[in-house]
Amino acid sequence: MAERVFSVLGLFETPDALLAAVPRLKAKALGRLEAYTPYPVHGLEEAMGLRRSPLGGMVMVMGVLGTLTALLFQYWMNAVDYPLVTGGKDPSSWQAFVPIMFEVTVLFATFTAGLGMLLLLNKLPAFWHPFLDSEASKVATRDRFALAVEAEAGLLDAAAVSAALKAAGAASVETIPEPASARLVSINALLGLAAAGAAACVLAGAFMYWGIKLFPTLPPMSHMLAQPRLDAQMPSRFFRDSRGMRTPAEGAVARGGLPYPFDKDDQARGLANPLPRTEEVLRLGKKVFSNNCLICHGPLADGNPILTAAYGGKPANLQSKKFLDYPEGEIYHTIMRGKNAMPRLGDGFTEDERWAVIHYLRALQRAQHAKDSDL
Amino acid sequence: MLPEVLRREPLIAGPLTAAALDEQVLSYPERRPPRAWFLAFAFTASVMCLGFALIGYTVYEGIGVWGNNRPVGWAFDIINFVFWIGIGHAGTLISAILLLFRARWRNAIARYAEAMTIFAVMTAGIFPAIHVGRPWLDFWLFPYPNQRGLWPNFRSPLMWDVFAVSTYFAVSLLFWYIGLLPDLASLRGRAKTRLRQIAYTVLSLGWRGTPEQWRHYEKAYVILAGLATGLVLSVHSVVSFDFATSLVPGWHMTIFPPYFVVGAIFAGFAMVVLVLSNVRRLMGIENLITMRHLELCNKVILGCSCLMGYSYLCEAFTAWYSMNPYIHHTFLQYVTGTYGWAGWLAVVCNVAVPQVLWSQRVRRSIPAMIGVALCVTAGMWFERFVIIVISLHHDFLPSAWHVYKPTMVDIGILLGSFGFFFTLVLLFARVLPVVATTEVKATLPGAQPEGVTHG
Ligand code: HEC
Repeated sequence: MAERVFSVLGLFETPDALLAAVPRLKAKALGRLEAYTPYPVHGLEEAMGLRRSPLGGMVMVMGVLGTLTALLFQYWMNAVDYPLVTGGKDPSSWQAFVPIMFEVTVLFATFTAGLGMLLLLNKLPAFWHPFLDSEASKVATRDRFALAVEAEAGLLDAAAVSAALKAAGAASVETIPEPASARLVSINALLGLAAAGAAACVLAGAFMYWGIKLFPTLPPMSHMLAQPRLDAQMPSRFFRDSRGMRTPAEGAVARGGLPYPFDKDDQARGLANPLPRTEEVLRLGKKVFSNNCLICHGPLADGNPILTAAYGGKPANLQSKKFLDYPEGEIYHTIMRGKNAMPRLGDGFTEDERWAVIHYLRALQRAQHAKDSDL
Repeated sequence: MLPEVLRREPLIAGPLTAAALDEQVLSYPERRPPRAWFLAFAFTASVMCLGFALIGYTVYEGIGVWGNNRPVGWAFDIINFVFWIGIGHAGTLISAILLLFRARWRNAIARYAEAMTIFAVMTAGIFPAIHVGRPWLDFWLFPYPNQRGLWPNFRSPLMWDVFAVSTYFAVSLLFWYIGLLPDLASLRGRAKTRLRQIAYTVLSLGWRGTPEQWRHYEKAYVILAGLATGLVLSVHSVVSFDFATSLVPGWHMTIFPPYFVVGAIFAGFAMVVLVLSNVRRLMGIENLITMRHLELCNKVILGCSCLMGYSYLCEAFTAWYSMNPYIHHTFLQYVTGTYGWAGWLAVVCNVAVPQVLWSQRVRRSIPAMIGVALCVTAGMWFERFVIIVISLHHDFLPSAWHVYKPTMVDIGILLGSFGFFFTLVLLFARVLPVVATTEVKATLPGAQPEGVTHG
């Protein structure tokens, strides 16, 4: 079977010759006309009957879209989603958004002009166009001007076209065959691609596996984070017991605190709360309670911990009958000395905080056991 | 017929046929470069490696290895950034603005100048990336949804800068690539080996040069030039906002945006002259990049130099007229303080020395123009030093004043940035067509049909 023809192409030496040939071949109407030139030849577009490029309009639309996108995005981020006050200005002031609006406009417009021209209008990349395999393509990017008549619906009278091209002044004529369709994506190429992909995966896996195995202790780059300083709860090789957090020396008294003398709770029974029951004190007590006691005793101090059962201890239900008229001194003692599973927390508080939390505890109890007269 | 003196020199001095032009320019990527190229490359690449090693050291150890310290929080890092971004501006000016003005002499040098733009922006980009101290967190600059629920502050000029510079890079790259496309197709046409053929087919995206393709192409090129023109004026303006919108005396000035743009074009053209005057000899393309091109570049340098002088005077006047003791003090520091020499160096190199370009003999002498270009390059670097370091080192609180001294690491990274830039420039000369052959061909005598005037 004879090869099917994609196009017949004639080479011209000068742009004038090419331009003169276009109307003559057009008149013969042998097939679709196409030209290949090393640079834009002026007047050729008109001769071939091409309209103006629609690129300008596309760029315009996308540019405006860019402006709006940038404005809305910035506005949403800095005024709506996370209002940010700078320089005491209203978060919704838009003037400072203008520079980025400009940049994004240009960005959208350029990508439309560049990629839109290449990908959309010119349908590139086109690696398999039959012209690229021709002899003419070697010179038509240098200094020759090619005019081709392409087959329409697979039909072309090659002999008539080449005669017409010669008559129109072509220096040489070449026939470009229709490429065999199977050539574009062959099974072999696909298999090769799959094999390469698989090999890459195996290689990457091996690289990761051995990499991590051989260099396990390579520290990530955290040089600025690593400082000669002991953070809370960190161990220290400097001390024999490896504890970074040291317990105070025997008999040390915290600044602003007094040594607590009692060991038995009945000794502390007589202590009286020195703080008045003001709103300020209750607020402080609430803070101490929420940060320190709530997790074990529950928000209402009724012994329903937020902790899971894995904690083990059974925090006292401070709303029970026993604690409603429990002497405040004994609560103080529990805070200072702890009790069984209840840790000794008092060292972490100031004297005011200890008494404030007791006030707050009382308030909680009263709220849970409110009398009619309280309403 | 014009009298002899008014007649223009030709755009290029032969060869005047397209085939010969291709042979001269496009054969470069195909053959072994001359010895001089290897020597130059070895030198610049080693300086580049030194710079990158020191950058690695900085990243590992933290920016404490630089001389920056309060109140001079910006020093070599930002000076280099501003300096290199500025260098890029000449390329865009040549390729875009001169295209719109139909100054056809640009065709021969546009490609190289554009490449320099891209390399300069790449070099500049290194500095903001490393000066944050923890470059692996640079992505925080971009607005991406994160679990902290935070967004960048879009009212900050530093944020504008991120957008301006990355847009500038993307646009320059696209502009350059699209200009390169038909030349890559020419290279494909010449390719002798299968490998080259495939490589250039892929790089040129299978460009065929049909009238349909050309009409979209030409349209896109003009649009891109228009956009790049607006962009190039905005980029250095935005860079100047980093300073001008702050309250630091010496930075808080309305003249900053135009002053920075002129300075950028000035330094950029000096670099163009520096590179082209050497490259044309190295590659034997004196016939394409002619003395006329260099002379025209020198004229631009001269014009910019005068504008720089005007800007300096304007700064002085604004300082005096402000009646603000802090600004008076800062300005006096520019010319009399610890670093007074730097201020004078900038004035001499940027305003005084380029005045020799009024003489045509100087404009057309290679050694002289290289001398002037070197002066301008150094002068413009020191101008940024003056603006940044001097303004910062004496701020409002005398108790905080501090004399800044760069460390060896600072200086090494600065040298390394030059190494990086010139390495890229040399590599470019080796692998891609250094002259936009397609554009030059289209304007050769006889390239367009009779009766149709070009462009
Ligand atoms: C780690 C969990 C935990 C925390 C935190 C905790 N407690 Fe307790 N608490 C307990 C447990 C467990 C008991 C029951 C001790 C027992 O009687 O065995 C208890 C008992 C008590 C008692 C009753 C003591 C007694 O005499 O029977 C009081 C009062 C008390 N806690 C107050 C507080 C206060 C006030 C705080 C906050 C400062 C607090 N607790 C924080 C676990 C905790």
